[in-house]
Amino acid sequence: MDLLIAFLESTLRVSVPLLFAAYGGLISERSGLANVAIEGQLLVSAFSAAATAAVTGNPWLGLLAGISSGAMSGFTFGFLAVMSRADQIVVGIAFNMLVAGFIPTVCRAWFGVTGGTPQLEMANRLNSDTAFFLSALVLAGVLFFALRATRWGLRLKSAGDEPMALVVQGVSPARIRILAGTLGGAIIGIGGVDLSMVQGSGYIRDMAGGRGFIALAALILGGWKPIPTAVACFVFAAADATQMLLQGQKLFDVSVPNSLVQIIPYIATVFVLAMRVSGRGMMAPRAINQPV
Amino acid sequence: MKHLIPVVIALALAAILTSILTLALGESPLHVATVLLKGAFGTPTALGYTLYYATPLILTGLSVSWALRAGLFNIGAEGQMTMGGIAMAAVGIKLSSLPAILAWPVAMLAGFIAGGTWAWIVAWLKVRRGVHEVLGSILFNFLSYGFAGFLILDVFRNIASQNPETLEIGEGFRLSGLADFIGVGGTSPLNLAFLIALAVAVIVDVVLQKTIFGLKTRWVGGAPEFAKRSGVSLSATTLRTFAISGGLAGLAGASVVLGYMHKAREGFAAGAGFVGIAVALLGGSRAAGIVAAAILFGALQKGSLDLDLDTEKISRDLAGVVQALIVLAVASRSLLEAGWLKAKERILSSASDGGR
Repeated sequence: MDLLIAFLESTLRVSVPLLFAAYGGLISERSGLANVAIEGQLLVSAFSAAATAAVTGNPWLGLLAGISSGAMSGFTFGFLAVMSRADQIVVGIAFNMLVAGFIPTVCRAWFGVTGGTPQLEMANRLNSDTAFFLSALVLAGVLFFALRATRWGLRLKSAGDEPMALVVQGVSPARIRILAGTLGGAIIGIGGVDLSMVQGSGYIRDMAGGRGFIALAALILGGWKPIPTAVACFVFAAADATQMLLQGQKLFDVSVPNSLVQIIPYIATVFVLAMRVSGRGMMAPRAINQPV
Repeated sequence: MKHLIPVVIALALAAILTSILTLALGESPLHVATVLLKGAFGTPTALGYTLYYATPLILTGLSVSWALRAGLFNIGAEGQMTMGGIAMAAVGIKLSSLPAILAWPVAMLAGFIAGGTWAWIVAWLKVRRGVHEVLGSILFNFLSYGFAGFLILDVFRNIASQNPETLEIGEGFRLSGLADFIGVGGTSPLNLAFLIALAVAVIVDVVLQKTIFGLKTRWVGGAPEFAKRSGVSLSATTLRTFAISGGLAGLAGASVVLGYMHKAREGFAAGAGFVGIAVALLGGSRAAGIVAAAILFGALQKGSLDLDLDTEKISRDLAGVVQALIVLAVASRSLLEAGWLKAKERILSSASDGGR
């Protein structure tokens, strides 16, 4: 029973960055901006948040820095992807490469080491698992409503499905996509803050560890819809929690190699993706990765 | 030469942006450039290292480029290279007494098959289960780290060593150094794998450009509708293309596993798969371009190692920034070209206005 509670607790905790990352990605993807750069945006915001908190000693400034740097990186990615009219996936991969080189470079210039920010003291962290989890749930509700019933949501979906329909109304789909990238980045940023200031105590190199891609898989599995996306995030979070529980344990008297235990979330992701039945209304935005 | 103009513009743009970054971090761009160039080409050994780093990049670049020819994006070269390298080490350990004449060809074949199979699964997931190849190949990179870790640490581990590495491969499997062979590369680990990579580049070029098989592959990328109507199966081509692309990446481990370490160590791919994407995008579709781009990125990788010691503020990670900027600039080629044409038009029209 204790084990079950520990498992559920850890599932909910690790679902937080996945939820924010998936929702940020969902907003940009719904606008037609294919987002393989979620990983990079998570890293930028996790780093900025921890660096700011370490330097100023104020966790709230860290949170602010995480969200705004997420927004800025979302804007940068969206702007480059839209304005270059290049393949958005290439731009996204280049963005991730840029981040992978940029963060350690800046980290060395500021803190003298490339491996991460100084460890944050307890007082400089955001000790609020529950608050972050609840805000993720609220966000799910807001998104569910906004995509259905607001002008903003309809325009976002038009930019992703029928950009020409917006042009006819005199609205620029390019502008909507860049805005969606920016807003999405800010939301991904909250996930980044969760990684480095709530779950972790500072930024460690590559600390997102592929969560950006698992979040992308979750929103694809969720058919680009908020509620099913949340379900997918919980499934992957459970796989991650299983992985953490199994580490160093023996299963039926045989010790399971750690290298294999660690990839359980990825095995689960591939497996669930392969099982997916693409039913009605679970399709990608029609104009995704099409230049406007 | 005209098709080189956008590439030159892209490289210049990347250089300018990198200079701005180094200035912002408090280092002189000129000093950084000197360190990079000296580190990459300063001595025969430095040049040897540059070519040694370029060797896997040639193969992963060819891998990504082959898939791009068929309109597919293989960003899993890192994982395919990892699986290929492990397979080479595995046959090198299990069949350690094989004579050289058989040994390294068998190892290369094992690497090709392992990398190819790994990529084929991704293509199968795309064709049969609708999993986009980009997401599939990224996830398979992460899977490969786990499997490689398992094989290195739990199956072939050398328990006498403190490093996470396998036992040594047999004598016959070891590719000799180019310094012993033709006197190139100083004391660097540059080895025969470099020449093998060049040969593979030529073969790939001939197959893609001169054979019906290559033509069909290019049809699928360039004009899928036409290819379909001509009776080329898109799903069969996708599977085959990914298998070959993965096989090429699988060969990339040869330089480090067979030619240098003589074993597989955790993380031996060291990002060569990802840089292969940059190599393919910059190098374009022909072998000469790929090899040139691979050497450029190899030089960047080697030169940047000295940044850790020879500069105060900058680290080797700057190489990653430069790579990414080059990819971004190349990807925005159509925008750059449009800007270039506009500027040219403006100059021409203002000149003709002036003449009126």
